Amino acid sequence: MTFAERMLKIDRRLIFLVIGLCTLLPLLYPVGLPIKISPEVRGVYDYMESLPEGSVFLLSLDFDPASKPELHPQSLSLLRHAFRKNLRVVAMTLWVSGTGMADQVVTQVAREMGKENGKDYVFLGWSPGGTAVIMNMGQDLYGAFPVDYSGKPTKGLPVLQGVTNLRDVNYAISLGAGNPGVEAWYVFGKDKYKFELGGGCTGVMAPGLYPLLRSGQINGLIGGLRGAAEYETLIGQKGKAIAGMDAQSSTHLAIIVLVILCNLFYFSVRRQVKHQGHSGL
Amino acid sequence: MIFLRRQVPLLITLVTGLVFAVQYYVPHPASEQMLTSVTKWLQIIGGFALVLGVSSLFHVHAMKIRRKEVGWGYSFVLYVSMLGTIAVGLWSNGKEAIDGAMTSFGWIYNFMMVPLQGTMFAILAFFIASAAYRSFRARSREATVLLIAAIIVMMGRVPLGEYLIPLSGDLSQWILNVLNASVRRAILIGVSLGTVALSIKIIFGMERSYLGGGKE
Repeated sequence: MTFAERMLKIDRRLIFLVIGLCTLLPLLYPVGLPIKISPEVRGVYDYMESLPEGSVFLLSLDFDPASKPELHPQSLSLLRHAFRKNLRVVAMTLWVSGTGMADQVVTQVAREMGKENGKDYVFLGWSPGGTAVIMNMGQDLYGAFPVDYSGKPTKGLPVLQGVTNLRDVNYAISLGAGNPGVEAWYVFGKDKYKFELGGGCTGVMAPGLYPLLRSGQINGLIGGLRGAAEYETLIGQKGKAIAGMDAQSSTHLAIIVLVILCNLFYFSVRRQVKHQGHSGL
Repeated sequence: MIFLRRQVPLLITLVTGLVFAVQYYVPHPASEQMLTSVTKWLQIIGGFALVLGVSSLFHVHAMKIRRKEVGWGYSFVLYVSMLGTIAVGLWSNGKEAIDGAMTSFGWIYNFMMVPLQGTMFAILAFFIASAAYRSFRARSREATVLLIAAIIVMMGRVPLGEYLIPLSGDLSQWILNVLNASVRRAILIGVSLGTVALSIKIIFGMERSYLGGGKE
């Protein structure tokens, strides 16, 4: 067996080790390379900036703990930005397994920014039905969520004053890790109830949402950890996303090097096989 | 019986399908009120679907344990975990925290579910790297194009890539915004047309597989 053949059949645990080290070392010794802001993330930021104080901002945290590393930093940055702008924050989730996490992130940022539950923000929690919840909110928000997550009746809450359905929402963002997520919020929400919509998603989902972005169906997109890092840069508050970018950089580079190496070995083996074939003739 | 199992569901599908296809274009208050009522029904049905799903899961795994099928031990673990979580959830009134203090349900959520799901997702990075090394090869012209595009996007999406090759950022943006968006849009249009065609077939009773099989 030649060297190239041996390298093509390398023990996968070695690859795991390389990836593990490429993730761990930059986390221990961060470099902090500058992060360039993409137009899609700036779209969300600029729209948030343009909202006047007291505007209604709906944040739907449609993800579960599996997507926490990417979408949790996005939600932290968006909530910090919204509270800093004194927007009225209405948070919710369409994913039952993400309810506890969503409650924690909203409560944490609200406490950090000195905001009051019911007056400055409300966490509606989860309601069954998936996309039907979006439609129900579009028709009657209080029918979809008669009480908030803590059990308080939503009707009469100061934060929801003047809000009867999704038409009264100034800006909505869905941080989605699948279905229901950004696409569902467009199809069942924005299309009928005409509110402005932005999106956030995991890195693998982002390419699938570009048609919505290019056609203006969503006005911005925060894609994966990179998107979260860009948003952290924009609001000037460094967090876990910026810290994780060095690890992501080195891991991407490691995978690229591995792919190039495997192709070099592959062509080397192919040339050998061809050469042996010719000499055999 | 056939009338109840076949004709009645087909009639309900035909009427509701047509009514709600038209409803979208009618902004009259009566039409909106009808939609409000139906979305409430949908939410209630969604709640019952959850109960149905959980009971079905219980049933499937109970059978596996009873018959001692291959992997019945995993079913047993699932059973114990599910019953344990339900019991703790009921005990904690479904709350992860009460007045800032973590409940036992919150403990299960924060220290079991969150790290377990996070770990499962994180493992993907290792397997993707290993799979890329083994199978991402320029075997054909199409594979070569895919390989080059993937490398450019991977470089352009991280600060180190943009630092080493400054052009990679703009190139990856172009790939995502032009090539990727147009192809994705074509797929979306195709899927949407297929969905419309299937909906029409279901509404008019040409597609009946949703009624299930069984004896008539």
